Amino acid sequence: MTLLALDTSTAWASVALYDGAAVLAEETWHAQRRHGDELFPAIERLLAHGHHTLADVDRIAVATGPGSFTGLRVAIAAAQGLARGSGASLAGVSTLDVLAYAHAPGKQRTCALLPAGRTEWYAALYQERNRKWLRRSPYIVATLPDLCQQIGTHTLFVGEIDPETEQTLRDLLGPKALFASPASRMRRAGYLAELGWLDLESRPQTRLGEIEPIYVKQPAIRVSFDQPFAPAPTDEAALGLPKRA
Amino acid sequence: MRILSIETSCDETGVAVVDDGRRIVSNIVASQLAHQDTGGIVPEVAAREHLRALDAITQTALAEAGVELRGVDAVAATVGPGLLGCLLVGANYGRGLALAAGLPFVGVNHLEGHVYANWLYEGTTAPPEPEIPAIVLVVSGAHSDLVLMEGHRRFRPLGRTIDDAAGEAFDKVARLLGLGFPGGPFIERAAQDGDPNAYPLPRATVADRYDFSFSGLKTAVQRLVRSLEAQGPVPVNDVAASFQKALVDVLAEKTARAAAEHAVDTVLIGGGVAANGALRAEIAKRIGHPLVVPPPRLCTDNGAMIGAAAFFVLRHRGTEIPQTVRSDLKLA
Ligand SMILES: [Zn+2]
Repeated sequence: MTLLALDTSTAWASVALYDGAAVLAEETWHAQRRHGDELFPAIERLLAHGHHTLADVDRIAVATGPGSFTGLRVAIAAAQGLARGSGASLAGVSTLDVLAYAHAPGKQRTCALLPAGRTEWYAALYQERNRKWLRRSPYIVATLPDLCQQIGTHTLFVGEIDPETEQTLRDLLGPKALFASPASRMRRAGYLAELGWLDLESRPQTRLGEIEPIYVKQPAIRVSFDQPFAPAPTDEAALGLPKRA
Repeated sequence: MRILSIETSCDETGVAVVDDGRRIVSNIVASQLAHQDTGGIVPEVAAREHLRALDAITQTALAEAGVELRGVDAVAATVGPGLLGCLLVGANYGRGLALAAGLPFVGVNHLEGHVYANWLYEGTTAPPEPEIPAIVLVVSGAHSDLVLMEGHRRFRPLGRTIDDAAGEAFDKVARLLGLGFPGGPFIERAAQDGDPNAYPLPRATVADRYDFSFSGLKTAVQRLVRSLEAQGPVPVNDVAASFQKALVDVLAEKTARAAAEHAVDTVLIGGGVAANGALRAEIAKRIGHPLVVPPPRLCTDNGAMIGAAAFFVLRHRGTEIPQTVRSDLKLA
């Protein structure tokens, strides 16, 4: 079994090929707004590098954001088409979940951040509890000061954080703000592939048309998220890491 | 050759199966109702609706045609012009479908689709193909283009709108008169009970070129409605009829003049405004012979027209077949 992972959530795009045990090939690049031109050539290169054809692919995972609506729809539409054409099963995985998942082994409270335009950011908070790595907040859209009001403890920031944003977070949070290194804070489709694989193991296939971007409602932060340790959201899109012995 | 074709450039999600660029095997169009409340198309809303609906509509189009993806020879989708976010949904879905099924993908110019809608038919008996050269008028909410079609896929632009598209003028006047969206069908219905000569309105001509301008007409209607409102209830039907006549006169006059200048007998029309009965009648009157036009449902955006155009793209490829979206694509 082989899984193809596609992510065009932001100016950064990533694709990967995974067989359940190893990442066979992966490509991450700065697509800016050219996802529509660059996704399919990247898929073809990926298959060539991974020594596979599309006929081998029977699972597909696609990043569902939150992120750039137009960007997200490029990979989601492509994934729906690929799934329909090949009979592969399709999973949608939140882009913020993918970002945070890479840092699960560190067991550090983690905040995944992606630009939401102008001064706002998409964010979600993650933490291990009872040996389970879970998202502990809804998907949020907020300015950095509003977001930081919800952060009461040491938190590792990952995602598309430029030096200016890093400085702002340090100014707002002081020593509570921790940062992953430039390479490890980036998003890679290999992690999306792992999460998509787990999702397809545990859940029946949804209707293809139901897989769509996570459209975060505007000021969600004020209505539904008022304390740093709010209970995990009931929709339980929580990350099901395999239990460690 | 059997083509599965997808159209998502604006607010209609269309998928069709078309044989040899002419015979419609199935043609499913879902009009988005979300825009009726806003009185205009919100691009982000349209793109969301396309993504939600497209896979299910594709399934329906294949089922109604009684074919599976295996039984199709190519997949086509509109790659422009249109709303970028909407185009990207159809083009990427179609490209994924094609790649996974091992089929060629054909990117189609939406305007060529409106032209080749004139080649489509339903049922078993093929009517004769339109003769080329032809004058083509594509008029809708997004475009007002007059072109000379010299051969298959060879288009010479003659004129286009320098401000509003004809369909936009219909929408705006319909809003002024408190009629619904999209404006075309509502104006046409109101105009049937109105006097087209009730109010003199300007026939804007752009020098003696073939370009169109509709913003002056729109402003004149606005002024007329304001002054009528001051006198009492607005005679909606008379205003609608006078407006429609002014707009149709300009479109028909230039179309007929272009046909005469280029000594062309065939006149083809397409786009949502081409569904307007008064426009069809006026053009026929001015060129002196009946127009052969697609039925209204093939004039408005649909998947079948993209399947027709895709067939001619494959037959007369010339240049490389486009694979990616270009929202500002032109007819040339
Ligand atoms: Zn159109």
